[in-house]
Amino acid sequence: MSGDARLWCDRLVRGLGQHEFDVYAFSRSRQQEDEGWIALPPQVNRVRTASLWSADGEGVAYGRRARRRFAEAYGELAAALCAGGAGAAGARAGGVGSAGGAQGARGARGHGGAGVSADGSADGTPKVPAPRSGRGSVDASEGADMCVGAEEDRFCSALYGLAELARDEGGLATALRSETAVQALERACRAPGAPRAAQLARVPDLLAVTAYLERALRPLSLDWYEDDGLGSVDLCHATSGGAAALAGLLAKEFAGVPLLVTEYGVQLRANYLAAAEEYPSAPVRTLLAAFHGRLAAEVYRKATLITPGNTHARRWQERCGADRAKLRTVYPGMEASQFAEVGESTECADPGTLVWVGRIEPGKDLVSLLHAFAEIRKDEPKARLRIVGAPADGAEAATYLAQCRALAAQLFPDEAEGVHAVGDNPVSFEELGAPEVPDLAEAYAAGSVVVLSSVVEGFPIGLVEAMFCGRATVSTDVGAVVEVIGGTGLVVPPRNPRALAEACLALLRDPERRARLGAAARARALELFTVEQNIAAFGSLYLEIVSHCPVRREAVDDTGEPLPFGVPPEAHVPGTWTAASETTTGRSGERRAVEPASARTAPRWVTPTKAGAGAGAGSAAGARAAFVPGEGAL
Amino acid sequence: MRTQGTEEARTQGTEDAREVVDEAGGSGSSVEVSARTEVRATQRDGRQDRRERRPDGARRRAVDPVKGLMHQHRELCERAIDPLEIAAGLEAHGVTDRTAARFRHRDVFSLAEEMYARVPRAGEPAEPPETRGTPEPRAAWVATALLPGAVCGLAVAGMHALGGNLRLVAGIFGAIAVTAALCVALRHGPLHTPGRTGTATRAWTGWLILYAVCGDGLLAAALAGGPDGPWPLATAPALGLALAVAPAAWCAYLFATKARSRLAVSRGLAELRAAVRPLLLGVFAMFLTVLAILLGLSGAVLGEDAAYAGAGALGALLLLGRLLAAHGAGHVQAAVLGAAAGAEMLALASAFAGRLPGFSVLAVPVEAAVDAGGPGLVPAAACGAAALVLLVHAVRRLACASAHATPEDAS
Repeated sequence: MSGDARLWCDRLVRGLGQHEFDVYAFSRSRQQEDEGWIALPPQVNRVRTASLWSADGEGVAYGRRARRRFAEAYGELAAALCAGGAGAAGARAGGVGSAGGAQGARGARGHGGAGVSADGSADGTPKVPAPRSGRGSVDASEGADMCVGAEEDRFCSALYGLAELARDEGGLATALRSETAVQALERACRAPGAPRAAQLARVPDLLAVTAYLERALRPLSLDWYEDDGLGSVDLCHATSGGAAALAGLLAKEFAGVPLLVTEYGVQLRANYLAAAEEYPSAPVRTLLAAFHGRLAAEVYRKATLITPGNTHARRWQERCGADRAKLRTVYPGMEASQFAEVGESTECADPGTLVWVGRIEPGKDLVSLLHAFAEIRKDEPKARLRIVGAPADGAEAATYLAQCRALAAQLFPDEAEGVHAVGDNPVSFEELGAPEVPDLAEAYAAGSVVVLSSVVEGFPIGLVEAMFCGRATVSTDVGAVVEVIGGTGLVVPPRNPRALAEACLALLRDPERRARLGAAARARALELFTVEQNIAAFGSLYLEIVSHCPVRREAVDDTGEPLPFGVPPEAHVPGTWTAASETTTGRSGERRAVEPASARTAPRWVTPTKAGAGAGAGSAAGARAAFVPGEGAL
Repeated sequence: MRTQGTEEARTQGTEDAREVVDEAGGSGSSVEVSARTEVRATQRDGRQDRRERRPDGARRRAVDPVKGLMHQHRELCERAIDPLEIAAGLEAHGVTDRTAARFRHRDVFSLAEEMYARVPRAGEPAEPPETRGTPEPRAAWVATALLPGAVCGLAVAGMHALGGNLRLVAGIFGAIAVTAALCVALRHGPLHTPGRTGTATRAWTGWLILYAVCGDGLLAAALAGGPDGPWPLATAPALGLALAVAPAAWCAYLFATKARSRLAVSRGLAELRAAVRPLLLGVFAMFLTVLAILLGLSGAVLGEDAAYAGAGALGALLLLGRLLAAHGAGHVQAAVLGAAAGAEMLALASAFAGRLPGFSVLAVPVEAAVDAGGPGLVPAAACGAAALVLLVHAVRRLACASAHATPEDAS
């Protein structure tokens, strides 16, 4: 679950040893916090965590003046949520988006002893891997709406107003739950021009929205944005939308720290799905959608760069108003070494065996796979199907597995070699770790063709693993499958057993084609989906951002006095600056903070970088030449 | 194959047209193209078969494919609040841009927009407010609410039955047991407060109850020049108040559930206020009545003066404070309780101070008050005024929606 996201962030921090990191993490539940901390690499300077699940300790009762300020700002926020929320949401691209509020991070788990700041001066104009911008841009004609609507402006000013209030006066939690907030929300809902659903809001709806906003706005009450916190870094990397991005947004607003947002799964979309589950009431969902939409639009507008994890996420981001010039698709990286042996070996597995690997749940449509296999058996009686995987969590998945087993037993009777041999079913259900399939690589190696029959899929990790193993694959056309496979495997429509069977048969009968496709798939996966490419891409993005948007800070000495000429004027000269000498400032090299705020699917870390002004600008200038976009502050 | 497909497309509809266009502009490596072509060929064969069997059905579907999709995702479309929600839902059901192309849309978003625009949304069905089943009074808290009354009754009975030193011991143990029972009773059930009760609140409450038991006697003795030896204790108010914990819990429960059900159906905050205020006053009046009856009963049983005014005002004060705290507005409680306790202390202190030579004027107001209404007037006035203040505050504060946010909203 969130392990993936955490893994990614962890690898990123460990992989980029030349930068210094500060980690700011949100925890989402007590359970997370109880899981303990892990040891950290030396490039991590400090770790700060905050919980999004409990509202402890920030209940400050405001004075009269602060209350008035709060009422004003919250009223504006509510008005911005209601103004044209649904009216404009009808068709406008810019209007709606979501970056979630409440989910927090996985953070608490990933911290340990903070290391010493290692001074790896970010040497050298990096060998920049070609920036993977431009990949898979769909929907070219529908440009992101650049003009910022009035309501959106209103939303931002209200948001920053609340944040400033929290900074000046202390935690917002009490005020956000107060009657003032509910009244402001009611007034906004009843105002003329509010969407119809909002007009119908009842008191329970208002309370639900107030409580939700209180949770979503918890990052505002944190004390992370001071000069010695997020204010001191050179780059803030929010590893998801939602709370983490909100923290990054405030760092940008208060300290001018450039923001890099990575979303592997789009928060807006997740929020829509979660809200549909959680809140049956339409008014609540309307207001929450407006909130997430406005927040996402603001995050995308303020972010220096946005890195979606695949084309699907990218499309959603464009839809929510992200400027296409800021988008760089960075595919998630996966550990390829465990598959190397299988991928490079030339010996062929049992030529008649199909393998399916994954977590067994209804979305994987194993029923369709079994029916397809029945068709295959008509033409290839020797074929076998091995289904490797455990049921996903929940009773539904367990029932589904039982159902699939029953169907398999019904479709395929046990059969034996002769009258004296013990029979066996051509379809086997196995779990990873069993003697036959000790690990993933073995599972993939067991078959000559790997099948993916899902009807719903995000980023198909199993498919990438199969590609690493050099297996020919047949997959259904869902999620990011086509983008991942890119012509190195067969793709059929979902819910079409017959097409699936035809494609499998085609591969089963043609070993040469299998080998060709498998080799191509492995080559493609090694090029696009390795950890190394992921880290390299982020490394170059960091340098790009730091070079384009260096944070200008006054150099101070140890006692906090301003240091005259601490930053030489040459530091700001665009162009190659070779020797980034240590004499210019006390600190050279970059320091970067990661803010892990991981969610279930989306990794969410916030990674601000921090460079000593001189050296940072120096290496930045060096990197600058290599990159294209021109929105830099130079 | 392609010619055939084109002809079909011309006559039959959309799906094959899309495929032909796809194939013509097909991108990707040759491997993929060939694979897809193969697959499609089989698909098309399959479809042809079906078409031969049910030509009408196929044609009808081809005219308006989106309609079928809308039917399939009817619930999603009807409850969606904007097109993006439909898009998210469709994607969760496996619809991709390539599926959308079959419906002649460039992507899922534009397909979702069409579906959102076309779904009949006549008269947004005013969802019936969830009838959140009012939780039945649970045996656990009912039992614990009865506990202080029972323990206090036993203690008082013991004190009456025993004599001398044993009586003192019974009194002390009885006080400890009643305190413990009270803590248990307040920890669960409707009188439970979400936050921790502050030390000040606890201290003032303890003082007020202590005064109700022994304050009047002490004051009278002090004014009479005493106290010489033990002064009479008023056990009837203590017993009455302890017995009143159960009705207090029940009143709080009644108020919470009724207010919540009003909240669930009210359309606006003003409506809610208008509904909750009479409710609060009604519940409060009911509690006062029950308290008066209990005080009278315990006074009659123990053969003491019932001290309706003082104990009644104290009971009202404590209930209101607890109600406010239970609904998350407990911060005023401490100040008001403190004021009442301070007034009582002042009365006692001035009675004693008046004995000092030259300070006799200090005791004049207390003496006047006691002469006018007996020693019970002091707690009655102090607690009554405080209760009135809390009542005004509660009428304003407990009528707010935020006071009735359910725990799951707040967590």
